[in-house]
Amino acid sequence: MEHARLQLVNKLFNDRPKSYKYNLFQMKLLIDRLTQHYNLTDYKQQRHNLAFVTVDKQLSPDIITHLRDYEGFSHFVLLSCVDWIEDDKLQLTYLLNQPNHKYEIGVRVLIDRKNPEMVSLHKMWKQIWTYQRELHEAFGIIFPGSPRLEENFVLEGWTEKPHMLRDFDTKEYAERTYFPRPGRTSNDPATYMREKLYPNQPVTAKTNKND
Amino acid sequence: MINSFLGFKPDRSLYPKTNAEGKLEIDLSSHQYTKLWLGPNHPGVTGNMAMELTLNGDEIVEGKTHVGYLHRGFEKLIERRLFVQGFPTSIRMCVAEPDTNEYLIAACTEELSGYDKQVPEMAKWLRMLSLEMARLQGLLRGVPGQAGTFSLGIGVQWGTYLRDLILDRFEELTGARVYHMYIIPGGVRGLLPDGFKDRMEDNLKEIDQFIIKIRKLIFNNAVFKTRAVGLGVITPKMVDQYGIVGTNARAAGVKRDVRKDNPYLFYDLLDFDPPTATEGDVYARTWVRWQELIQTVDLIRQIMAKMPEKGEIRAQMPNVLNWRIPQGETYVKLESGRGEYGLYYVTDGSDKPRRVNLRGPSYTHGIALLEDMLVNTNIADVHALMVSLQVCPPEIER
Amino acid sequence: MNIKDIFTPFTVWSSVLKDPVTIKNPIGREAAPRYRGFHYNDINACIGCGTCEAICENQAIDLVPVEGIVTKSGDSGLRPMVDYGRCCWCALCVDICTTASLRLTNAYTWVDTDPDNFRFIPGVDKKDWDEVQLGWRKPEPNYSFYGLHRQHMGELHAEDRKSSFIEFVQGYSKEQAQQEADRCVSCGICVATCPAHMGIPEYIKAIRNDDMEEGMRILYETNPLPEICGRICTHKCEDVCSIGHHGDPLSIRWLKRYIADQIPTDVNTYQDILGTGNLAKNGKKIAIVGSGPSGLSAAHYLALLGYSITVFEKLPAAGGMMRYGIPEYRLPYDQIDKDINYIASLGVEFKYNITVGKDITLDQLSKDFDAVFSGTGLHLGRSTRIPGSDNENVYQSVDLLRDIVTGKPVPVMPKVVVIGGGNVAMDITRSMARLQMEKYGKVDVLATSLEDEDFMPADREEIVEAREEGCTIVPGYGPQEVVLENGKLKGLKVWKCLSIFDENKAFNPKFDSAQERIFEADMVIESIGQGMDLSYLTEEIKSKIEFNNRGRIVVDADYQAKGLPWLFVGGDIIEGPDVIHGIANGHRAAMGIDRFLNG
Repeated sequence: MEHARLQLVNKLFNDRPKSYKYNLFQMKLLIDRLTQHYNLTDYKQQRHNLAFVTVDKQLSPDIITHLRDYEGFSHFVLLSCVDWIEDDKLQLTYLLNQPNHKYEIGVRVLIDRKNPEMVSLHKMWKQIWTYQRELHEAFGIIFPGSPRLEENFVLEGWTEKPHMLRDFDTKEYAERTYFPRPGRTSNDPATYMREKLYPNQPVTAKTNKND
Repeated sequence: MINSFLGFKPDRSLYPKTNAEGKLEIDLSSHQYTKLWLGPNHPGVTGNMAMELTLNGDEIVEGKTHVGYLHRGFEKLIERRLFVQGFPTSIRMCVAEPDTNEYLIAACTEELSGYDKQVPEMAKWLRMLSLEMARLQGLLRGVPGQAGTFSLGIGVQWGTYLRDLILDRFEELTGARVYHMYIIPGGVRGLLPDGFKDRMEDNLKEIDQFIIKIRKLIFNNAVFKTRAVGLGVITPKMVDQYGIVGTNARAAGVKRDVRKDNPYLFYDLLDFDPPTATEGDVYARTWVRWQELIQTVDLIRQIMAKMPEKGEIRAQMPNVLNWRIPQGETYVKLESGRGEYGLYYVTDGSDKPRRVNLRGPSYTHGIALLEDMLVNTNIADVHALMVSLQVCPPEIER
Repeated sequence: MNIKDIFTPFTVWSSVLKDPVTIKNPIGREAAPRYRGFHYNDINACIGCGTCEAICENQAIDLVPVEGIVTKSGDSGLRPMVDYGRCCWCALCVDICTTASLRLTNAYTWVDTDPDNFRFIPGVDKKDWDEVQLGWRKPEPNYSFYGLHRQHMGELHAEDRKSSFIEFVQGYSKEQAQQEADRCVSCGICVATCPAHMGIPEYIKAIRNDDMEEGMRILYETNPLPEICGRICTHKCEDVCSIGHHGDPLSIRWLKRYIADQIPTDVNTYQDILGTGNLAKNGKKIAIVGSGPSGLSAAHYLALLGYSITVFEKLPAAGGMMRYGIPEYRLPYDQIDKDINYIASLGVEFKYNITVGKDITLDQLSKDFDAVFSGTGLHLGRSTRIPGSDNENVYQSVDLLRDIVTGKPVPVMPKVVVIGGGNVAMDITRSMARLQMEKYGKVDVLATSLEDEDFMPADREEIVEAREEGCTIVPGYGPQEVVLENGKLKGLKVWKCLSIFDENKAFNPKFDSAQERIFEADMVIESIGQGMDLSYLTEEIKSKIEFNNRGRIVVDADYQAKGLPWLFVGGDIIEGPDVIHGIANGHRAAMGIDRFLNG
């Protein structure tokens, strides 16, 4: 029994790398083909079957259409947004799946965080308008022409800023909106022990400096 | 089929006209239409979801899905927590199969921190076992549940009992019945208890009998056939148009299964072939799921036979309180009972994730697809459609 | 559809006479042995470290004081209180619990009408399930939320190190230090136990962040001798380390050394990092007697406050016991100089070869300076006073260790017996081994102590390392007589020690004369403790101040001598003996002097 199991696992570790290599090879070819047409930056092969590329905002509808119509990325997986508040950018990630070769590509588009606007792709896949509606509510991104964009998605009657932005503080909102349970206090062990055991002993160095 | 059986012929002249923008022109004041809210509190609706229906008689001319009544902002909550604290929150994003969320959080954090190679073999088998058990308990509710939407309740009662037996096994293995919190970054949280396999085998034998009984009850049932055949047809062309995955796609003849296409864990060591159908209607989807039930029982038997007797359960990971993951992003997916279930995970080098985005199959099935499918159906078919697409609202709201 | 479809569903009628499931499996069954039910905490094992609170993703745990549990070294006296309004029973608190005291029982039913009852202290507030043994416990083994094993410290091989005095502990590499720092759960239990109350979790965090300058600033808040302490501190903090309850305690001392080692020797770099290049003088002068750890610590913190400091040292270099007592293989001289040079760069003046009481009187100092700090240490060796101990070949370890440093010729004989089981005894044992290696090419040193092996006061690693270097350690014997033959030393007669303390816990060893052994020796070294030399205090001063029953000067919380306001006393003659106590009370005396002079 144990022997048979080990044989199985060994088989797996022999077979998997081969298919991984094939997958990687296919993805490399794909990226080569794409770079002939488009300017891809930040190409990263995350896994044997998953790569991320960054493209220009203006080029992105074009490249996504190209991927769908000429490269067989017929399955639209996900549209997501990441808030890079430090760089003042929102990153839209269009994740596409190629069902024949069974690999995925993530197309990243960086848009301005202050004026977030992106071309609507609702005509390309029928579920995209849902994602766009959600991102409009969660990040405040405008997709002109996207159906039912202004309708509430999960938050009815929301008046605060878009809740998935990094600078929306969930905890602060919860404390402001709901009431905390009264009588809850906690102690930090180190501070508590100092108060109990050595309240007057120096724990920092005092300095007298020239200004 | 249903329409012809009941001799019902809709009068299309009474339907609302579409305007130049392609939108329906519905004038509620004409007394020709009724607005009906189905849910969020309705026994036929799985989870807390509402459907805003516009009716012409008892026919639906427009349907809109509304979510957000139960769970909100879990992704945001996970973004504000340490990597190890993510999995107890994540399970709430789909109650029907909570283990899938745990696995995705664990797999994403392991991949981005470079510990995916260190996960012990035993832990991987146990992860697979708990994922298949989760699928099994989901199907035990889902298959008879489809008949339940046509008021055939007896199967649901049998299924609920058997599901409870699987929950007993979950309780033994993971320490909880529904929110298992078993798969943790680095491995799992416990070995199989003594005698687990025997008790599991006893349960599987009961389920084998149930599988036969349910076939007689549902699939050779005149009422079920009348109602389900021809309802909510998904054509192969729609699969890519709407992003349909899982059993819904397989019932339409598009054979896609993440376990086969992009094998994770040790699924390529198991001997199975995802069942398919060609009709793409509610009957076909239920039939595919029933076959998947047989297959899942077989898979659990295979896993229990093939897994090692003992081994390490968790890799030595960094201290969970100080764990930082370098900047990176990934998308990990698995095949849940409802289809491709994935997690887009972005880290920024700090001790908390930058973005966690769950891609649940219900996101497309429950909104874009369901809304389009509702049109021209009867009000009594709404629940059947929703259950047949296996819509789980929490994974839409997240 | 055919006629079969009408009749097949009626097969369900076959179950009509079966018992319902609710009769087969009635309500009230016990939960699975691993079930995650209500909390129970073994409050005697719990140390209140608060890691449960840190990992709780729902903020369901508060740390609260509990009546009857005293805050003491290694135990914060706090205990977790769980709020079941927030708890999600994920049991992360159990999995991380450093003492494995917290667990979840498999009890799962509890009805109460008062919602406030669902906030309680497990283990303190009595509950029905307190005796339940089944439930979720920390999974064992090889399942841990933090590293259980410390990073291995690179050392020279015993064969290499015993032939020279070069430092044999190699220090952590960056990778090792970060992995070791990663094990810390930042509970802060250690801070209270450290005599200087160093910010241990903070500087370990600085290592994790690879911010050595920040680490250095944190070290200097409470400890001006990090290079020295990073090597030879008695690391009492590691004894109470919370993760040491189930695993190796954190190598706090080596991590401290790692930070200090990363900073270049140049004093200007030190001043830049610590921001001490621009200190303002306040015009007051302080004399410090003795340049040991307490004196240097007081000098450093007073210099930061702007005082002009003069340090009087009897010996030709600063450092006290750190230089003249601790062998070079544990603490190299350049590392002592690194710390002391920075203190000197703050404007502290050192006067060497001046013995207070002989070259200058204490009275004179009190007139020339605004205040005097005295940290003169324990430099007199204690004798066993056994017959024959007045022989010329019976030596005191402190004298020999000092002579090794100053370069005086040290007598080395082929067979050496050391009396004593403390760190100083180990120091002289291992030093003599090195000297024998140099002179004879082989090691023959034997150390014997009263205490059993498990109770020897020396650090465990010192004993192990001494043995590795070829020394013999024979614990559990009491010296009775130095065996002489025609006035020539032949050996040491010892008896098996049965007990050291009597019923009143007073030192009163009992021996078994039947178990007698004679250790052959050409030379016996006594290392059973040191005494203080207070001869620099004149009779007039002595009459003003008070002494306690152990002969120590009575001081107040500011280390100000009772009866003589200008005299502050610290170091080994008050507390210890060890370096970190000296540093701590030097700092506190500095604050006391500042309060005394500036109100």
